[in-house]
Amino acid sequence: MPIFDQGYQHWSGALAGHAWRWLAVTRHGVRVGMKGRLLRLVLLVAWLPAIVLVFALCLWGLLERNSDAIATFLPMLRGILNPEMIAGPRDFRVVFWTLGFRFFLQVELWFAMILVLLVGPNLISQDLRYNALPLYFSRPLRRIDYFLGKLGVIVAFVGMVMIVPSIAAYVLGMLFSLDITIVRDTLGLLLAVIAYGLVIAVSAGMLVLALSSLSRNSRYIALLWLGIWFVSGITATVLDEVDRQQRMHEAGQPGSFLRSSEVAAAELEAAKTNWRPLVSYATNLERIGQELLGTDACWERLAQLQPLGQRDVFLSANFGLRYPWYWSAAVLAALLGLSACILKYSIKSLDRLK
Amino acid sequence: MHTQVLDQVAGPAEVTPVVEFHGVSKWYGNVIGLNKLTLRIRPGVTGLLGPNGAGKSTLLQLATGQLRPSQGSVRVLGRTVWNNARLNRSIGLCPEQDAFYEWMTGWEFVLTCVRLSGLGRRDAREAAARTIDAVGMTQHRGRAIRGYSKGMRQRIKLAQALVHEPEVVFLDEPLTGTDPVARRDLSEIIRRLGSEGKSVLVSSHVLHEVESLTPNIVLLNRGRLVAEGHVRQIRDLIDKHPHHIVLVCDDYRRLASRVLAWEDVEGVRVLASEKGLMVETRAPDAFYGRLPALSLEDGLAITAVYSDDDNLEAVFKYLVTK
Amino acid sequence: MTSATSLAAAEETRGATAGRLPRGSRASAFWTLYTLTLRQHAHGRRWLVMGLLFLLPVGLAILVRSTAPDVPAIGLEFVLAHMFVPQALLPIVALLYASGLVEDEQEEQTITYLVSRPIPRWAIYSLKLLATLTTTVMIAAVFTGLTYAAIYIGADARGENVPLRCLTSASIHALALVAYCSLFGLMSLLTRRILVVGVLYTAIVEGLLANLPFGIRLVTVIYYARLITYRTMEFLVPLPRDRTENIAADAWQFDVASDPQLAEHPQLATCVAVLVVGSVVCTMLAAWLCAGREFHVKTPEKD
Repeated sequence: MPIFDQGYQHWSGALAGHAWRWLAVTRHGVRVGMKGRLLRLVLLVAWLPAIVLVFALCLWGLLERNSDAIATFLPMLRGILNPEMIAGPRDFRVVFWTLGFRFFLQVELWFAMILVLLVGPNLISQDLRYNALPLYFSRPLRRIDYFLGKLGVIVAFVGMVMIVPSIAAYVLGMLFSLDITIVRDTLGLLLAVIAYGLVIAVSAGMLVLALSSLSRNSRYIALLWLGIWFVSGITATVLDEVDRQQRMHEAGQPGSFLRSSEVAAAELEAAKTNWRPLVSYATNLERIGQELLGTDACWERLAQLQPLGQRDVFLSANFGLRYPWYWSAAVLAALLGLSACILKYSIKSLDRLK
Repeated sequence: MHTQVLDQVAGPAEVTPVVEFHGVSKWYGNVIGLNKLTLRIRPGVTGLLGPNGAGKSTLLQLATGQLRPSQGSVRVLGRTVWNNARLNRSIGLCPEQDAFYEWMTGWEFVLTCVRLSGLGRRDAREAAARTIDAVGMTQHRGRAIRGYSKGMRQRIKLAQALVHEPEVVFLDEPLTGTDPVARRDLSEIIRRLGSEGKSVLVSSHVLHEVESLTPNIVLLNRGRLVAEGHVRQIRDLIDKHPHHIVLVCDDYRRLASRVLAWEDVEGVRVLASEKGLMVETRAPDAFYGRLPALSLEDGLAITAVYSDDDNLEAVFKYLVTK
Repeated sequence: MTSATSLAAAEETRGATAGRLPRGSRASAFWTLYTLTLRQHAHGRRWLVMGLLFLLPVGLAILVRSTAPDVPAIGLEFVLAHMFVPQALLPIVALLYASGLVEDEQEEQTITYLVSRPIPRWAIYSLKLLATLTTTVMIAAVFTGLTYAAIYIGADARGENVPLRCLTSASIHALALVAYCSLFGLMSLLTRRILVVGVLYTAIVEGLLANLPFGIRLVTVIYYARLITYRTMEFLVPLPRDRTENIAADAWQFDVASDPQLAEHPQLATCVAVLVVGSVVCTMLAAWLCAGREFHVKTPEKD
């Protein structure tokens, strides 16, 4: 009877190619991340707005079908929506869906920020602290595989709160509509939402990875991330407010409230060249989202329903950012480039490690 | 396997123990670090042995006041350790972890540590210079610790444990990562500490290191005290396992037939490659007593006699790896 | 061989002086720990991050003055030095430094060197906090001065005593920093998620609750800091047609129309006392917690 060697046996099968090496790093990162109770709680809570969105889309679908089930909600809808919208909901289908997803994604952006805060700082800083880089690069793993793997962790978690619930809400809303034309009308919206989710994931992911590569202490990275998110937002608000006060002062207008149509029109015009929101990282992401989803046209459509003298006031209150979208794209691209440079110089391959 | 507790060969029974554990247990949630440990460590150098997870670190951290016992009491120099900062003036600890204020030089680090012990500036400088010289780091004391080799880091770590001249020193794996020269130097320092009257408890799982420092050991396994005392006496008491004695002789087969006739010999194994025999016996002293006469017989000249288990490794293996 | 020679030489020296080290004093040990922590703060990159953060209001001041020169200096001072800095920067800086008072040492595993010295644990915490306060207050004071310089140099101060305003601001920031650092230092001993808790506290308690015109804002640091600011400094911004606007009262929801002297709000001394006493209480509580704390370096911690 043959006796088999129980010792080490070299793997004689085929090794996978480089294309999927990064996936091993991503899988490990996601598995480690999911062990955190706080992260699982955040993921759970992040799906609640999706339930609200699904409810809203389903309600609209029922409204379009003039279903009896909508009768209970009609008084509430009459209080919120314009009578024209209730009378002809199909004409405002794209507007409602677009703005619904827009509000949903605005909320999910905050959850994405929290997830990146929970997961991102540890990604590279812990590898630096515990000297794990030689463990990675002593395998047939290139730096690009390592970076893609780490980025994949962020993309996975951001996708879980932005892309997956959006797709789920879209499918459920579509099913409640029972109208095949909804796909024709809103498929572009779904693609835009996915693209927006990917933009956030890649931008935030690269930025937090770059920060994470700068220190072994993940707490400082987390604070830096918060600083970039909050402090840049506050800074932009301060600059904006000072600029607005200056304009009010020049126009002889006291206080902070603007309700006249002329002032609103002037504010809308000034917003087209207002660069101050570019200082805020979150605002830049929102501007890209605004452009991808095409919310400008939706607000203009809704403004047509307002009385003539109130349209500018309505737009001024709801329109959002008016400066060219490619300004924000340039800022985000610059941050992406800076992040890539930092990563390139912070993380060296094995032959150059100290 | 049963617990053996012996009086130490080193001193008389009434010598005041420097470290005392009375029914000490320590648990972390569901994990038991130490389990009803009662132990007295007398002055001199004592080796603390055990496999990974035996509770050595827990014992040391309890003895140095870093952890509070979940049950029982720990006393050092007759005083309770936990939350007794003043006692730390008499205690020195060389921790196992390779952690420093990396941005400091070796000199700054040792000086800071001695000043943290409360010494004034001048006394501290003198003590730091003396201790750094004692560990052989004078030449490198001006360099940042982050540029030190592993051996240098161990020396500096030992220096900070000794700089304030404590009465009791706890060394957690002090020779880890050191080269043979550093190991020899540091072992010499440890032995000298013992000869100067200081009490040293050295934790290690490198058996020959501890053997070179002291014959007095404390052996832990799975949070329990397994044995305590002189290596030789512990070995004698392990009556489950007979002693192994190797005899080297040209005519080893005839020698084997002769020793097999002795009643206390339980087994003989031929070591053909060494031209010898390994004899198992429960009465090693009597066996050794008969060997000279046997060796005088024609053709049975025994060229070498040694025991490969009258040592710490054998004790460890018998008691721990059952 | 060097080692053998040094060993022999050391042997001689030891023979001469062994066992003669004096007992030493706690004051010396305390001072050493204090200065050690100061040096730790200076050696990390944290001070760089802190400096960059505090340079923001300076940069903003320069930016605003160059792009909107008609903005009244006092209005800019209010927005930057009394809104932006206390609400955004001070909590972040306090979180950056105070959240890792003891945890950083534990993570780096250098806590062993402190705990094995004859320094009580409560003193370890207190001294590290004191050193942290020294660092943060000093840097905040310097950058407050720079912010004021950026706002007022070359601007129309309209008869205001700028150095006095700067000094008052720096003092109020220092007091707020002391309160935040003490609070976050205590929180860091109560929870491992200090960062999340600290951010939520800053955003919800100091950010939202403090702006509500109800009694709930009595539990916030920023409320007392604002009251002290309001009672010690004026923020009347000139408007066209010889009007003025009390921007502080508007922004901080003080109903000066019905209560011009803010009689329903705590007085200046009370505000200072609340912040100081609150800081002392937090510090004492934290020191007490530290006194009984085990610092696990090699052994497992309870979950």
